[in-house]
Amino acid sequence: MTSNSRLPLIIGVAVLAILPFVVGNAYLQHMLVLWAIYALLALSLNMIVGYLGELTFGHAAFFGIGAYTSAILSMNYGMPVWLGPFAAAIVAGFFGAVIGYVALRIVGPQFAILTLGFGSILYTITNYWVDLTRGPMGISGIPPFSLPGLDIDFTRADRMYYVALIALLLVAYGCHALMSSRTGRAFIAVRENAPLAASTGIDVFHTKLLGFTIATALAGVGGALYGHYLRVITPDLMNLQYVAALIIMVIVGGKGTIIGPIIGAGIYVALLEALRVVGSLRLVVFAALLTLCVIFLPGGLVSLWRRYAGRGAAGGAA
Amino acid sequence: MTAPLLAVEGLTRRFGGLVAVSDVNLTLAQGEILGLIGPNGAGKTTVFNMLGGTFPPSAGRIRFAGTDVTGWPSHRMAQLGLTRTFQITSLFPTLSVLENVRAASYRRAKARWAGAFLRTAAWKQDEAEIGRRAEEILDFVALGHRRDMAAQALPYGEQRKLEIAVALGADPTLLLLDEPAAGMNPDEGAKLVQMIRAIRDRGVSVLLVEHHMKVVMGVCDRLVVLDHGVKIAEGAPQDVASHPEVIRVYLGREKVGA
Repeated sequence: MTSNSRLPLIIGVAVLAILPFVVGNAYLQHMLVLWAIYALLALSLNMIVGYLGELTFGHAAFFGIGAYTSAILSMNYGMPVWLGPFAAAIVAGFFGAVIGYVALRIVGPQFAILTLGFGSILYTITNYWVDLTRGPMGISGIPPFSLPGLDIDFTRADRMYYVALIALLLVAYGCHALMSSRTGRAFIAVRENAPLAASTGIDVFHTKLLGFTIATALAGVGGALYGHYLRVITPDLMNLQYVAALIIMVIVGGKGTIIGPIIGAGIYVALLEALRVVGSLRLVVFAALLTLCVIFLPGGLVSLWRRYAGRGAAGGAA
Repeated sequence: MTAPLLAVEGLTRRFGGLVAVSDVNLTLAQGEILGLIGPNGAGKTTVFNMLGGTFPPSAGRIRFAGTDVTGWPSHRMAQLGLTRTFQITSLFPTLSVLENVRAASYRRAKARWAGAFLRTAAWKQDEAEIGRRAEEILDFVALGHRRDMAAQALPYGEQRKLEIAVALGADPTLLLLDEPAAGMNPDEGAKLVQMIRAIRDRGVSVLLVEHHMKVVMGVCDRLVVLDHGVKIAEGAPQDVASHPEVIRVYLGREKVGA
C-alpha cells in the first residue's frame, strides 16, 4: 500500500473515531453501534460470498450461536464477559467447520440450499432446547460488555461503539492481510476457477473449508458483541431475515471488497431508520434495492467509484 | 541413465465396459519434450487426465520424480511439480493478467496470513519475490504489456499464452500441455513451438498432447502414438512418421511432416 492510498484510510478511521462526539444524540450513537456490529458481520459473510464465491443462507445461525455462547457462558458459568467474543468465535467456528465439512462437498446453488437447511436446524434446536436457551422467550438480562480492571459502563452506546469499532477495524485489517497472503489468493483462485486452482497445487475443498470456518467464527464474534450490547437475545437472531439483511449489505456495498460491506451495513442501518415510517413496506424497498443492484451494479456501490476512478479490472484483492 | 522423471507402467482405464486406455507404458526423461498423439478417440485425453490427476487409473502405476503418484488428486500432483493445462481455455477470468500468474504462485509462496497481518520482513520479501517472478513469467510469454488487463478481456491467442504463464507460475518440473495449439493459425503455431522449446530451456520438461502435426513434429524429441487405447509406436518424430502402423491408423489421412 502506498502512502497515497493510506491517507484517505487514516482520515476515514479518524472520522469514525470522533463520530460519537459529533452526533451527540444517544439514539444516533446506538445506530452507530449497530452499524459497526453489522459491518463486522457483513465482512464475515463477504468472506464466503465475495472471496470463496459461494452463497450461504445459514450465516445468521452462526451469528446466533455466537450470541448464545457468550450469553450462556457468562451468565451460567461465570466466564468474564470480555472473553465472550473469543469463546463465541471458537464455538461458532466449530459448528462452521463441522457443517462446512459436510456441505462443502457440493458447490453452487445446492450448497446454498444445504446451508439453508443447516441454518433452520440450528434455529429449531435453539428454539426448542428450552433448558439451555430458554426457547422462544430468549435470554434477557445478559451482562453488558466489560473489560478486566476497567470501570467503564459499556451499556452506553458511545462507549460500546469503540469496542465494536475496534473489533470491526481488526477484522477489516485481518481481511486485508488475508487477501495479501497466499491463503487469500487461494480463496480468489478457487472462486474464479476451481479446477485451474487445483492444477496449481491448491486443495480446493480445504481452502473452502478454511474460509467458511473463519467466516463463521467471525460471525460468532459479531453475535457475542450484539448480545452483550442489546442484552436480550431470542432465536429470531437466526432467522432468514438477518441472513437477507447481511446479503443485502454485502451485495449492495460491493462483494469481494473490504470497504463495500462496511458501506453496505451503513446504508442498511440508515435506510432501516429512514424508512421506519413505512413499516414493513421497507422490506419491499430493500428487496428492490437488492434486485436493482444485482442487475445494474453487480460490483455494488464501490464499483461506482472504481468506474469513476477508471481503474481496470474489478474483483481481486482490493 | 538416470531414472526417468515420469514413468508410467501398465496404465489402464475402463469406463464401464469400455476400455479407453489399455496397458500403456511410457517414460519421460528430465528435460525431454514428449508428444502424445493419435487419432480422435485414441485415449490421449484419458491418459492425460490420469497423469493430471482428474481421475485415477483402473490399473497401472504412475511414478513422478521418484514418488508413486498413482491416483493422486490434481492439487497433490501440482504440489510435487506436475502441472497440467486444460484443453478448453481456463483462466481466472475477472483477475488481471498479473494477478492470474500471482494466484498460481501458491506452491512457491511461503509466508502465511500471520506474516501478512504483522507485515513481517519474511512476508514482504516473499510477496516481492512472487511479484518479480510473475512479471518475469509474463515477459517470458510476451504478455508484459497486458499485465493490468482482465484475463477475460484478452484476445483468444493471448489467453492461451496466459494459460501457459499461469501453469509456469505454479513452478512445475513437468508441464502437461493439453492441445495448446487448438484454434491457432499457422503463425501462432510456429510461435508456440518456439515457446515450448524455451520452456524446456527453463528446465521444465513437457508432455504434449496435440492434434496439430506441424507443432508436434516441430517440437517433440520423441513421440508416443496411441490408437484405440493401445500404444502402437514410439520413437523419434521422423521414425514414427514412417512407421507403417502409424501411417495406416493415423498419418495416412494427413500428409506427414506437413
